[in-house]
Amino acid sequence: MEAWKEKYASYVQKQQSCPPSAPGSDSLSHSLTDNLESLLTLLGQSGDLVVRDFLLFGKYPASMVFFSSLVSQEQIQEHILKPLMARPSGHPGFTDNLADMVHYIWNTAVQVTQGTTEQLISSLPPAIVKGELVLLIEGVNEALLLDMRQIDMRGVEQPQTEQVIRGPREGYVEKLENNLALLRYRLQSTDFRIEISPLGTRTQSRVALCYLDSVADPQLVAEAMRRISIIDTDSIIDAGYIEQFIEDQPLSPFPQVQSTERPDKTVAALLEGRVAILVDGSPFALVVPALFNQFFQTVDDYTERFIMGSLIRLIRLVALSFSLFFPAIYVSVISFNPELMPTDFAVAISGGRAGVPFPAVIEVLIMEVSMEVLREATIRLPQMIGGALSIVGVLVIGQAAVAAGLASPITVVIVALTTIGSFATPAYNAAIALRMLRFPLIILAGMFGMYGGMIGTILIINHLLFLESFGVPYMSPFIPGNWRDWKDTLVRVPLWWMRRRPSFLHIQDSSRLPASIPGAYADQILQQGGEADEHSKADHNAAGGSRDQ
Amino acid sequence: MNTPRQITTLRAAAVISSTIIGVGILSFPRYMAVAGGSSAPFVAFCGIVISFISFWLLASLCRRFPREPLFVFSRRLLGRPLAFVFTLLIFLIFTLLTGLTVRQFGDVATTVLYKKTPIEATIFLMLLICQLSARRSIIKFSYIHFFYLPLIIGPTVLITLISMRNIDWLNLQPVLTMPSVSFWRGAREASYLFQSSFVIILLVPYMQKPKQAVRAGALAIAVAGLLYLLIVIASVGLFGSEETKLLIYPTLESARSAAVGEGFLERLDALFIVLWVISVYTTVYTTYYLAAVLLQNLCNFQDQRSTSTVLLPLVFITAMLPSNVFETYTWSLTLGNVSLMVLTGYVALLWALFLFRRFRKKGASG
Repeated sequence: MEAWKEKYASYVQKQQSCPPSAPGSDSLSHSLTDNLESLLTLLGQSGDLVVRDFLLFGKYPASMVFFSSLVSQEQIQEHILKPLMARPSGHPGFTDNLADMVHYIWNTAVQVTQGTTEQLISSLPPAIVKGELVLLIEGVNEALLLDMRQIDMRGVEQPQTEQVIRGPREGYVEKLENNLALLRYRLQSTDFRIEISPLGTRTQSRVALCYLDSVADPQLVAEAMRRISIIDTDSIIDAGYIEQFIEDQPLSPFPQVQSTERPDKTVAALLEGRVAILVDGSPFALVVPALFNQFFQTVDDYTERFIMGSLIRLIRLVALSFSLFFPAIYVSVISFNPELMPTDFAVAISGGRAGVPFPAVIEVLIMEVSMEVLREATIRLPQMIGGALSIVGVLVIGQAAVAAGLASPITVVIVALTTIGSFATPAYNAAIALRMLRFPLIILAGMFGMYGGMIGTILIINHLLFLESFGVPYMSPFIPGNWRDWKDTLVRVPLWWMRRRPSFLHIQDSSRLPASIPGAYADQILQQGGEADEHSKADHNAAGGSRDQ
Repeated sequence: MNTPRQITTLRAAAVISSTIIGVGILSFPRYMAVAGGSSAPFVAFCGIVISFISFWLLASLCRRFPREPLFVFSRRLLGRPLAFVFTLLIFLIFTLLTGLTVRQFGDVATTVLYKKTPIEATIFLMLLICQLSARRSIIKFSYIHFFYLPLIIGPTVLITLISMRNIDWLNLQPVLTMPSVSFWRGAREASYLFQSSFVIILLVPYMQKPKQAVRAGALAIAVAGLLYLLIVIASVGLFGSEETKLLIYPTLESARSAAVGEGFLERLDALFIVLWVISVYTTVYTTYYLAAVLLQNLCNFQDQRSTSTVLLPLVFITAMLPSNVFETYTWSLTLGNVSLMVLTGYVALLWALFLFRRFRKKGASG
């Protein structure tokens, strides 16, 4: 308690006194105490700031300044203090020429990979804040900055938001270097470029922009850089902050930037000619441009065989349309056009709805809203309680609501299908967009029946058609039509058939495979699958393709 | 990345096609049957040929001025004041056309399917989505048509083909009759449906290959014309020409008669109506867009955003003017006559001036 009171008193005193004026000269002086004093004024007081005075080579007074929370103290002891405090017999004396001292230390004494020398005092605090160590020596007007940054982090784990059945299990962590290492490990190409710069006046978060130099459209890379460069904010805490600054249409419900936790997905996007943006401290990479069809594709589509991949993708598309249209169609058919249903079914539905006092639209809205509340509650609760809650909620909503006459059984079925459909959409933010749009559709359908639903649908589709992400139409490659790129949209054709990269990204190098390979593969498959006679097989091998031996 | 010439020939064809296929699709067989009896398909065919000829006149003229839309180069050919008068006339035609089309749609929608929805709401909602989407550029305009066209054509053809299983081919005989006055009147009426192919004047300056404007139109008119022919054949073949004359919406009836399987897919007309809303939307969107751009041009505005808003009450009032269905149809037939005369006459006039000038220029230089 006492300690905190003292701290408080000194803090208030400091606030009331005039702020320390900037020192007259910005460059370092020869006096160690002067340098230290002005550096500490610039840095201010902080609990984890360490100033370590020692005698360099046993003779010259020197000081190290660093934040103990950011650096590895063991490394400092081992690789800096130990060689510097030792008294090597053979080193030259610096009696008259102390200016060479810094270079001597850098070249022969310290065992650190990255470091710079600095003569301006104002450039020292930002470096210390980043996790570097500043070495000041009496009589030398130069400071040595050594990179000793070490921040503890969690290990590479399976990403929680994008799980796969078959495929890599590693996801990004918070530290930028690690994430870039994960990318470099998968993309061992000299074409892979990474541009890193700090962003945010206060946080100075390092932002990395990655692209493949020989593939990505230079205009796209330039546009991405331009949009990042005009961000003017004090803090970038996560990649999501950047997303909100660079997206094309902030008012649209649909995400126009893809965020992923998976390095393999990022690498695939880079290879298609997209640009990835990573932020230090965020386990998500942003991929631009992001198009509508990306939001129902997953890694599984590509790692599984193509027939399964295509089937699963189609199922996901069905789920997606369930989550958007189902309740609206139900409401409009029930309350406006019951004649559209087959007779037996209509009888069954009206029998189920007999005890429900509300009109269909109210009933559906009540159920949908309570389902949303349940979903949100389950996400926020700790995992142990969440499971229990969802079971209770589902039982209450499913069973008791029907028994109490709040909802009809068919409504429960519809709402359940809708909810499950929205969970089947792999991209969480796209699923939210569709879930959001479901409500206006229900209301329109409740007001104008099927016609209202149609109008709402046309509005949504038109919005999608008008949308662009970094100059690429959002509905590419459906609109504008590029038949060739349809191979990887609704279905996923065999990998050896997709020999070109998507053309809507205006990439420089469009071929993924050499032109001859697909033909060779197709020959091979036809020969193995069909009843290939020995003659043609011999022909094939003679022609140079001895691939199947 | 962004070049102004982005519309491919195929996309231009899609715009024209989805524009042509519209509100008329439901009652078209009746008019053809009234005009030609069992030779209704032939009447429709003649109408298609007529409309292609008038389209060819227009498109081949636009092709000569690949950089400008019609209402811009007409100022040079015709002089500013006269061109203004004609542009105003065309603007009025398309405003009225939009209003009457949307009114016809509202009539059908409220009497056949959406009985509980008031007609004002139906019309207003339709106009509202047209207004919202008319604010966008011509490139996006072509995207919309290109996206919806397969949704319109595919199921319509499918439903029609399914309903054709029950056709009695005897109903379609005799195929040819002696062309009479009513025959040609019917053919002319059929050509009204194709009048909104006028939209090509907006597309040409943005086409990748403006030289192919005529080809795009030919493709579009062929596709839409085939669809219309198919519908006429299905209706007349199913019901016979005398019965078709009595049905208000023969296409809908033939869709109703098309049932697949036992019980589940018995109501194909519901699907048909849903798609019909889209096809009406694309038609009204085009005429609305045309009217907005024409008004923008008359007022010398930068883009059509503000004029599309101004147009909304105007078109809505037009749509509410006729007091009943019969008046709507009379009005739209009159409008069809007037616009056929004005549009074709105007294009013919421009052609004459163009040829005259070229002749004089040649004479001067030679």
